Amino acid sequence: MTLEIKIHDNHFVLHASGAVFWKEKNMLLISDVHLGKISHFRKHGIALPKTAFTGNFERLTSVADYFEAEIICFLGDLFHSKLNKEWDLFEDWINNRPENFLLIIGNHDILKPEKYEAVGMAIASELKVGPFLFTHEPEERDGYFTFCGHIHPGINLRGSGRQSMDLPCFFQSKNQMILPAFGEFTGKWIMEPAQNDRVYAIAGGDIVKINMVEKSKKNFFR
Amino acid sequence: MANRKQLFEKAESWFESQGWQPFAFQKETWTAFLQGKHGLLNAPTGSGKTYALWVPIMLDYLKRNPDFTKHKPGLKAIWITPLRALSVEIKQAAERLVEGLGVPFEVAIRSGDTTSAERAKQSKKMPDLLITTPESLQLLLASKDYPNTFKNCSAIVVDEWHELLGTKRGVQMELALSRLKTIAPNLRIWGISATIGNLEQARQVLLGPDSEAYENSVLVKAVLHKKTNVISIIPTKMESYPWRGHMGFHLIDDVARIVKESRTTLIFTNVRSACELWYQRLLDKYPEFAGEIAMHHGSIDRDVRIWVENAIRDEKLKAVVCTSSLDLGVDFAPVETIIQIGGPKGVARFMQRAGRSNHKPGKESLIYFLATHAIELVEASALKKAVEKNVVEDRIPYLNSWDVLIQYLNTLAVSDGFFPDGIFEEVKSTFCYQAMTREDYQWCLNFIVHGSQSLHAYDEYKKVEIEADGRYKINKRSIATQHRMSIGTIVSDAVMQVKFFSGGFIGSIEEWFISKLKPGDVFQFAGRQLELYRIKNMQVLVKSATRKPTRFASWMGGRLALSAQMSELLRQELYSANHGKKSPELHAMEPIFKRQRKESIVPEADQFLIETFKTREGYHAIFYPFEGRFVHEALASLLAYRISLLEPITFSLAYNDYGFELLSDKEIDMQSVIDNDLFTPRFVHQDLQKSLNATEMARRKFRDISVIAGMVFSGYPGKTVKAKHLQSSTQLLFEVFRDYEPDNLLLQQAYRETFEHQLEEGRLIQSLERIASQEIVWKQCKKPTPFSFPIITDRLREKLSSETLAERIAKMTASYMKGTA
Repeated sequence: MTLEIKIHDNHFVLHASGAVFWKEKNMLLISDVHLGKISHFRKHGIALPKTAFTGNFERLTSVADYFEAEIICFLGDLFHSKLNKEWDLFEDWINNRPENFLLIIGNHDILKPEKYEAVGMAIASELKVGPFLFTHEPEERDGYFTFCGHIHPGINLRGSGRQSMDLPCFFQSKNQMILPAFGEFTGKWIMEPAQNDRVYAIAGGDIVKINMVEKSKKNFFR
Repeated sequence: MANRKQLFEKAESWFESQGWQPFAFQKETWTAFLQGKHGLLNAPTGSGKTYALWVPIMLDYLKRNPDFTKHKPGLKAIWITPLRALSVEIKQAAERLVEGLGVPFEVAIRSGDTTSAERAKQSKKMPDLLITTPESLQLLLASKDYPNTFKNCSAIVVDEWHELLGTKRGVQMELALSRLKTIAPNLRIWGISATIGNLEQARQVLLGPDSEAYENSVLVKAVLHKKTNVISIIPTKMESYPWRGHMGFHLIDDVARIVKESRTTLIFTNVRSACELWYQRLLDKYPEFAGEIAMHHGSIDRDVRIWVENAIRDEKLKAVVCTSSLDLGVDFAPVETIIQIGGPKGVARFMQRAGRSNHKPGKESLIYFLATHAIELVEASALKKAVEKNVVEDRIPYLNSWDVLIQYLNTLAVSDGFFPDGIFEEVKSTFCYQAMTREDYQWCLNFIVHGSQSLHAYDEYKKVEIEADGRYKINKRSIATQHRMSIGTIVSDAVMQVKFFSGGFIGSIEEWFISKLKPGDVFQFAGRQLELYRIKNMQVLVKSATRKPTRFASWMGGRLALSAQMSELLRQELYSANHGKKSPELHAMEPIFKRQRKESIVPEADQFLIETFKTREGYHAIFYPFEGRFVHEALASLLAYRISLLEPITFSLAYNDYGFELLSDKEIDMQSVIDNDLFTPRFVHQDLQKSLNATEMARRKFRDISVIAGMVFSGYPGKTVKAKHLQSSTQLLFEVFRDYEPDNLLLQQAYRETFEHQLEEGRLIQSLERIASQEIVWKQCKKPTPFSFPIITDRLREKLSSETLAERIAKMTASYMKGTA
């Protein structure tokens, strides 16, 4: 269900929900929840099931209860669109949580700042703590290790007997960790890893470090 | 103008002035029509079917309007054609007659190709005779005050009804007719169909089972002995024939020779990608063809298509490489020769293509068949038998297509709104919805009004509103526009427009193909070399490239499967390979059979062949039922599932029209497969449902269903999608429904269509029963056999596994590009 890794002597726990827990600072990182997406579609006449938006809250509650962090930091794209009814549900949810909240503003977060402040959530365009930088969009900056989201990383796996599957993943390169999208109904972008990248795939309820091989020229007749 | 005799004389003298004689079936149709009957005319292309119906439509008007030289405005008759490509010639035929009879009628086309200015003009003043498509007819039903447009319409002809019958566009047609019957009380409904196995049912679907129209209808059959000559292009040296592949370029010189010897030639390919490639190869190898040959397929810009159609008709072009976009024939179009590249997979389609040659009543048709790989020659041989024996297939109509009904109800809500009770009776009178219950109907109404079945909880869903008088109506403009735009998308895949960076539309292409390209990649499309510049707003911006293309545009659609009748013929043909007198095709294949017999056998009628061997890719097991791709797809999932119950194992599945393969990273215990009787027809439905594959297939079916039901707005070819934020993959939609609303009728429809139309459960059970009566012959081979080769090299594959996700991942890897940081 979880897997612990070390970066710059700090300990981070990757969770199968897509969240990351930073032990030293007691901070939970969650990226790309995209709340409000279901309602947004319904508002435009696309009949998604109404019950679907409860799923995100159930998963948020479950991961928050699991780590009991002091602070929950959303790495952007918390709310998918303009104000709709799911924001009311989010207000209810956040009012019943003991944690402190911080939102790194993402491209989808277009609500007025007052709305976030009204529920006691701090907002920022980025956050720096020691050697760590927290942003929404991937960015490599000198002297920092970045935690970010935005692209909803996924990985393509292949095996003998022509097997293939795509899974959401945590994607770590030399100075950066991209989190998978936490939200349901969000989709994924298949990454093309480089030699030293590390990939932690979410396989059902497990986190699995993926073995990497050099890409071979595919040829059936070899 | 009163009695029929005088009317007939008028028509016959016009025929005479054109130098023609009316056929018996034409006169029979005229009589039935003038007697006020509805009906279905069974006539092949090139038989003169167009005038079998245009004539009585005009005669009927003359009869009822003695002052016919004075023009009365309003729509008199509608001609529905499934393909826009045909509308021009139908219009010309009508105009010729209208002019000849001296009636001041305006004939016009309304289709996706009609400009908006032209459409607006038509809306103000309808032409007298309208030629249109099923989609455009739906759009007319989506316009304000539509009953007024149709009230004096006295005839509707649905041309090429067999093409629509087994499709959802056919269902669209059934629904439109159910409405027209009410608002146009004098309407006569006629269909025209090529020969199919279930003609009687075709009439029933068109007119409505047990309907008044059906009671008062006839089936007219044109008995025309039109000889069709089928010639296989067989290479002199069989050794050079490839074992696999689907292009057939090794015979390009023969094709060029045929093109040169003939005045005009149509070269039919099964898919658009093959069309692109053949066009390019012909030009590369024979530069002298430049300007003399052209290409025609559904993704090419309409202006180009229309130009090509006219040019081949006027013999300005010598040959056209085309797909089914030029499939349906038009009367009196002069094409001398037809070449079919690759198996046409169905007798009816093949016959129809053949009918395009020497397209005049009474003359012989000539069609060349080019088998793209060796095994396909068996198909050629079987086809010739089919043509001889006049074997034809059924077209199976859809039942309970909730997606189409939801689209239709939205259509009515967009125009003048509707009252549900009256519409219920109309809808229930159609073939498709004859078994619909009140509950089903209410579900659809709830879906369009509340977006769900739980009615109380308020939320922001807004589509159809119920007005004070009980009328269901769409009032929001943006939703109305969006709906109108989506009506045409019933058949199309997710497509993107290809445009020059400097401006200029080239055509449209399936999204999945473009998603494989990076900026800078060169690909071939519409006969041009194009470099991908970037993708923006669902548009693919390209530049001309001089470099050789690395990729060719390809399309998922059009992977056809053998029909039941074709597979039966194919099996008989193959089983005859071991005995007696062989057709020239089978004779030519003798070297291949020899190779096959060296490692394995060529099976007899009472044998079921299984081959196993090992390659670098893993352990292959190939099964040969010879039942066609769809049945093999189902059989492969079924068998893989049943084997996976014996031991944890993961398969990748491949299939073609001859057999299927289960590929695994460990050896299958074939003896236990045989001992455990895993081919039993018992529990087929349950086992199939449990096999993961059914879910995957339902997921793909759901894609079309969600588009038709208006849950995915993909925009319209030719217009920029502004509602990009509303796009979402139907994959995600499917998962949301599966997890949160499993009893959703549209989701259930996806599974039902998977079993009935994709997996063809009925045929599957029949073939399992056949296998049960055969002797299983298991050959352990050292290397791939000629029969297995086209299957094991197929790249489109499904998966099935009984191992856990973690077990599978442990054996898998991701790959990186070397040299990157």
